Amino acid sequence: MVAGEAVMMSGPILDAAGMKALGAALAITVTGLASAWAEKEIGTAAIGAMAENEGLFGKGLILTVIPETIVIFGLVASLLINSA
Amino acid sequence: MSRPKVMTRAVIVGHKSILKQTIEALYDTNLFHIEDFVEDESGFKIDKPFENAGDISKKLVKIRSIANYLGTTSNEPVVQKTGTVLRELDSNLDELDRGISEKTESIIKFQNELKDLDSQKKELLPFLSINLDFDYFRGYESIKVFAGTIKGSLEESQISSITKAFELYVDPQSKSIVLFVANADADRVYELIQGLGFRELRIPERGGVPSETLRLIEQKEAEVSRKIESTKAGIDSMKSKYADFLLASDEILSIESEKAELPLKIATSANAFIIDGWTPSEDYDTVVSAVNSATAGKAYISKLEIEEEEEEHVPVEYNNSKVAAPMQQIMDLYSRPKYTEIDPSSVLLLTFPLIYGMILGDIGYALILGVLALAVKKAVKSEAVQPLMDILIYCQISTFIFGIIYGEFMGFSLASLHTAHGTIPGLIPGWETIVLFPGLSGEEVTFPVHRTHMIMTMIGATVTVGLLHLNLGFLLGFSNIARHHGFMHGLLEKGSWIIIEIGVLIAAIGLLGGNSILTYVGAAVFLIAVLMLLKGEGIQGVVELPSLMGNALSYSRIIAVGLSSIYIASTVNDIAFEMIWPDHSQIGFAAIAAIIVFILGHGLNTVLSIIAPGLHALRLQYVEFFGKFYSGGGVIYNPFGFIRKYTEE
Repeated sequence: MVAGEAVMMSGPILDAAGMKALGAALAITVTGLASAWAEKEIGTAAIGAMAENEGLFGKGLILTVIPETIVIFGLVASLLINSA
Repeated sequence: MSRPKVMTRAVIVGHKSILKQTIEALYDTNLFHIEDFVEDESGFKIDKPFENAGDISKKLVKIRSIANYLGTTSNEPVVQKTGTVLRELDSNLDELDRGISEKTESIIKFQNELKDLDSQKKELLPFLSINLDFDYFRGYESIKVFAGTIKGSLEESQISSITKAFELYVDPQSKSIVLFVANADADRVYELIQGLGFRELRIPERGGVPSETLRLIEQKEAEVSRKIESTKAGIDSMKSKYADFLLASDEILSIESEKAELPLKIATSANAFIIDGWTPSEDYDTVVSAVNSATAGKAYISKLEIEEEEEEHVPVEYNNSKVAAPMQQIMDLYSRPKYTEIDPSSVLLLTFPLIYGMILGDIGYALILGVLALAVKKAVKSEAVQPLMDILIYCQISTFIFGIIYGEFMGFSLASLHTAHGTIPGLIPGWETIVLFPGLSGEEVTFPVHRTHMIMTMIGATVTVGLLHLNLGFLLGFSNIARHHGFMHGLLEKGSWIIIEIGVLIAAIGLLGGNSILTYVGAAVFLIAVLMLLKGEGIQGVVELPSLMGNALSYSRIIAVGLSSIYIASTVNDIAFEMIWPDHSQIGFAAIAAIIVFILGHGLNTVLSIIAPGLHALRLQYVEFFGKFYSGGGVIYNPFGFIRKYTEE
């Protein structure tokens, strides 16, 4: 219905606010996927290492959460887009 | 900001005749970390274990396998006298060993009997409703007996067309038949039933009427099952009788075996021994007097100077107050500090709960988790759990304080907030939000701080906290380096980072304030600091420069993770009290459903509230903070000795 209204108004489907919202959504989605991907790789390796030596839990944990920063930056970026 | 305990290297030399006494004395003090001897050209060799070592190991293996079989655990250890346990050891062990093998053997025997009975029962079942004595099935000269199952149905008329001399029993349900015919007709009858898919069944060897036999078998089965149960009960009673003995003897023999195997770790010659190791300096006198009194002064003990290159390998024992001690758990999860560096446990005592509280910041969750942690601390006396609960309690204190600052309770806002879109009421009527001063990008800083309404300001604030935290790290790093390599090194390697930040700050103030001189000054300070860094850490340091910004921005996770926790909580509240139960005056099904959703939702969020803020607070310490000063990898101080739990001398 929203799309229908936009067509009826014969304006662009996405106005500036819509583009902004999409941009913000992309920022968080793509970085979220990137973090997940990176953490998956590290997490698998970390668990493999822990199977050999349980003492590596701390280091494994740290290495696994390192890519979390990517999505945090994505969140910051999307907040910045939203508030600009 | 404590340092590890100061250690003393000591060497104990003596004649082999006093080796046993020396080992006993060292073991009892539990203060001497023994360095393993590596054979070299000195002519000293490691020795053989004491004679009793083999015997002890054998018994230990037996005890452990029995304990493993019985699954002995003791929640309230009964402390026993070593002498008594040792005196009864052999006889108890024999009795246990014999008792258990007897009982397991008879259990296996009974189980086989059960299996046997079961197969007898299965053979019997097809003949049950025919109920003909099995003795009638055999022993004929001129009669052939067909006993088995068929697929279709068999009528008497079908057989009577072949022969008149027959006797047929059919059980239509199990499709089993018993058919008696004269030998002469047997082949033709067999052909007939073969066409109906006849399959012969084995006739049970034992005679008697099937229903009667079945009753007997079932009786026997019940009897055997009872015997198994009673044997198992016997094992259980052995378990409860000997549990304490097993734990105590395991402990005693472990101690004895450790003592007996010590000669494998020390340097010996034909007649002498050398034990080399470490003890905290404050305990040196205790060790000396213990060894002297055990050997009547025949052992020679002396201190050795610690050389600088040796310092890396000195075993490290924490030296923290009781309050900061739980944080050692967090340190050990990462890595034990080196002997030469600062032990940051007491810094963590402040920064870890601070960041955790900043993330979670909710009075309701602080109370729930605080009570939970206290309860677990009371209930579980394990040494692994206690410090973790202490840490959780510290974190909840901080969460409570930030809960007041944020004015949050289970995702509800406590104070009412006036916004452009109207007033959002708070949970506590009459508590109004006060505007303090303007924040970033048009937001206002208020008390209580409404995190969801001042995100940009909070990002700025958390990054500032991050910069402070990082600079604390640089200061600790400076102190570590300055202590060992002099002030200049410290300044070039770690101080330069702080000066870089100052330069950027001056330049930024100049740019924003339109003061070009200040900008140039800032840029100059920045350049000088980069050159200092280049000299201090080399090109690596300069390459690392942008990571400073990454590290500082990483602290924005404090607000990011915090927001996710608030949104989960307030969504749960919305679902429960706005969607399911909007009419708060009516008590009915909706009210119960709302309460269930409320409890489950917040239960989930409570679990997340330990994991998410905990992990992120931990990561900020490990990655961002420790990266600035900490190397770790110290040798863990592990004194030769044992803390007895189940026994005493």
